[in-house]
Amino acid sequence: MMSVRAMKAALKQQAIHFFVDPQWVIPSIIAPFIFTTVTLFLFRHTGGDLMLYAVLGGGVLGMWGNTIHSSSWSIGYDRMNGTLEAIMVTPAPLSSVVFGRCLWNAFLGLLNALAVFLVAKFAFGIDVTVRDPLGFLVALAATLLSLAVLGMVFGAFYVVTRASSALFQMLEYPIYVLSGAMFPLVVLPEWSRPFSYALPATWGAEALKIASLPGYDPLGLGYMGALGLTALTTLVFLLVSLWLFSFLEGRAKVNGTLVRY
Amino acid sequence: MSDGEAVIEAEGLTKVYPAAFRLFGDGGREKLAVDNVTFNVRRGEIFGLLGPNGAGKTTTVKMLSTLLIPTSGKATVLGLDVVRDAGKLRSRINLVSGGERGLYFRLTGRQNLEFFSDMYHVPREEKRRRITNLLEIVGLTEAADVRVEEYSRGMKQRLHLARGLVNEPEVLFLDEPTLGLDPEISRETRALIRHLSEEGVTILLTTHYMFEADELCDRLAIISEGRIKALGSPYSMKEAVRNDSIIEVEARELGEAQRRELADLPGVSAVSVEHLEGRQRARIVVANAPGLIPTVAAMLESRRVISIRVDQPTLEDAYIKLVNGR
Repeated sequence: MMSVRAMKAALKQQAIHFFVDPQWVIPSIIAPFIFTTVTLFLFRHTGGDLMLYAVLGGGVLGMWGNTIHSSSWSIGYDRMNGTLEAIMVTPAPLSSVVFGRCLWNAFLGLLNALAVFLVAKFAFGIDVTVRDPLGFLVALAATLLSLAVLGMVFGAFYVVTRASSALFQMLEYPIYVLSGAMFPLVVLPEWSRPFSYALPATWGAEALKIASLPGYDPLGLGYMGALGLTALTTLVFLLVSLWLFSFLEGRAKVNGTLVRY
Repeated sequence: MSDGEAVIEAEGLTKVYPAAFRLFGDGGREKLAVDNVTFNVRRGEIFGLLGPNGAGKTTTVKMLSTLLIPTSGKATVLGLDVVRDAGKLRSRINLVSGGERGLYFRLTGRQNLEFFSDMYHVPREEKRRRITNLLEIVGLTEAADVRVEEYSRGMKQRLHLARGLVNEPEVLFLDEPTLGLDPEISRETRALIRHLSEEGVTILLTTHYMFEADELCDRLAIISEGRIKALGSPYSMKEAVRNDSIIEVEARELGEAQRRELADLPGVSAVSVEHLEGRQRARIVVANAPGLIPTVAAMLESRRVISIRVDQPTLEDAYIKLVNGR
C-alpha cells in the first residue's frame, strides 16, 4: 500500500536536498546536458528529422541518467545518513518514500529535457517543431513516470545491500542502448529485443518519436499503441518494485543489514 | 515503579544473524546475538537493558521495534505482535538511537521533524504546534532553522529525542541515548527521559553506563553474550553484592595478568580494572575486604601501587559480578 502523505513529504525533502546540496546538480543537470550536447555535435551534419531524433534520444538518455543516479541512490543516501532505520520504524511504506523522491527526480528530468530542446534550437539551430505537441507532452509525462518507476526498482536493491551501486553502474549504459533512445530498435540484434521490449523507457521513447517525427513508426504500433505499452510496462514495473520492496525489506530484517554502510 | 499491565513482553526471543554472502572472501559465520531472552516491561516503567558492547542490547531493541525479525521466540508490544502486526504497531512506538547519525544533515532541525511527522501522518494543524513544542522541550527553538550539519553533538542528540517524540509514542525505545555526550548534556538528557516517563511514556533504554541505569531505571536486565544474567530493580541488583565489600587499588602498572591473579584469590568473586590517565583502578569484589588487603598489597608490591582502600559495593560492582563473576 502506498502513502500519498509520505510520497509528498519525500518529494519535498528531495527538492530541498537538491537546492541545498550542490552535488546533485552534476548527475541531474550537468551530466545529461553534456551528454546531449556531445550527441548533437555527432549528428550535426545529418540534418532533417535525424537531428530531431538525436535531440529526443539525448533527452531520454539524460532523463534515464538522472533516474539511475538520483533515484537508485535514494536509499543509499539514507544508509549514509543512518536514517534508513528511522524511516523504517515509521508506519510509512519505504516504497512511498522512494517513489516520492523519484517523482522529484522525474520532474528534474523534465527540466533537463527542456534544456536539451533549448540548446538544440538556439545553439545548434535545429528545428525542434514536433508533429503532435499535445501527444508529445503526454508521452513525455508517461516516459518520466516510467523512469521514476524504474528508479524505484533499482532503489529497492539498496535496502538489502550497499553494494547495489555496482549493479547500477553496470546497467546504466546497456539501458542507453536497449531503450532504443539513440538507435532504432530494429538495428539491435534479435536476442536483445526482449530486454528492450520489457523496458517502459523503450515504449516511452517510441511514443515520443511517433508524436514528434512525421512518418516515424517502424514497429507499426501507432501513438496509442506505444503509449499503451508504456503504461502497461510501467504498471508491471511498479508492481515488481512494490513486491521487491516488501521482499527485500524482509530479507534485510532477517540479515540485519539495514544499518551497514 | 508501576505495577501496571505489561506493555512489552518478550518470550524466548532469539536472534541469529546469518553468515553474510560475499562474492569474494569469507562471509563469516552465523552469529547468535540474542539467546532465548524473556522479560516484560510494565506501562509507565523505565526498563533498562544493561550490558557490555556486543551483548545483544541493540539487537533486542531492534526486534521489539520491528526493525529485525526474530529467529525464534515471540514478542508483543502494546499487545501487538512485533512481526505480524508491525504495521499497526509502528504508529504507537518510536526508536531513538545514540550517536550522530540518523538525521538529514543538510536539512534544518525543523525540516527533519516535519519530514518525520509526515511519515507518522501527524495531522497538519497539529504538526506545527507539536514541532514548536518539541523544539522548546529539547531546547532547540533558536537553532530550529539551522542545518543539522552545524549542530553540536549534544544538539543532534536532543533533535534525535525530539524526532522520537513526533508521534507521541506510548512506548519509546532509547538505544544508548547518552552515548558520547558530555556530562552536562548527558544529565539534561536523563532529566528529559525522566520527564517523559512522568508523562506516562513507557521507556526501554539500553546503556552500558551503570550510573545511568541506577539513576533512571525502575527495573533492569543485565545482558551479556545474548543472555539475561540478572533481572530486577537496581536495588535488588545491589543486593547481589550486599554481603561483599570492595578493595579498590590504584596503581601505575596493572594489567590483564594482575587482574587474573587477583580474580584467582580465595573469596574474590569478581575483579574489574579501569584504565585512567597514567594509572589503573582495580575494584575487587570480596567477602572479607580487610582480611584480604595484606595479600593484595603483597601481590601488587612491584606494580607501583598508589593507594589501597575499602569501599562499599555499587551497581557497577554487582554488574561486574553478575557478568564476569563466579
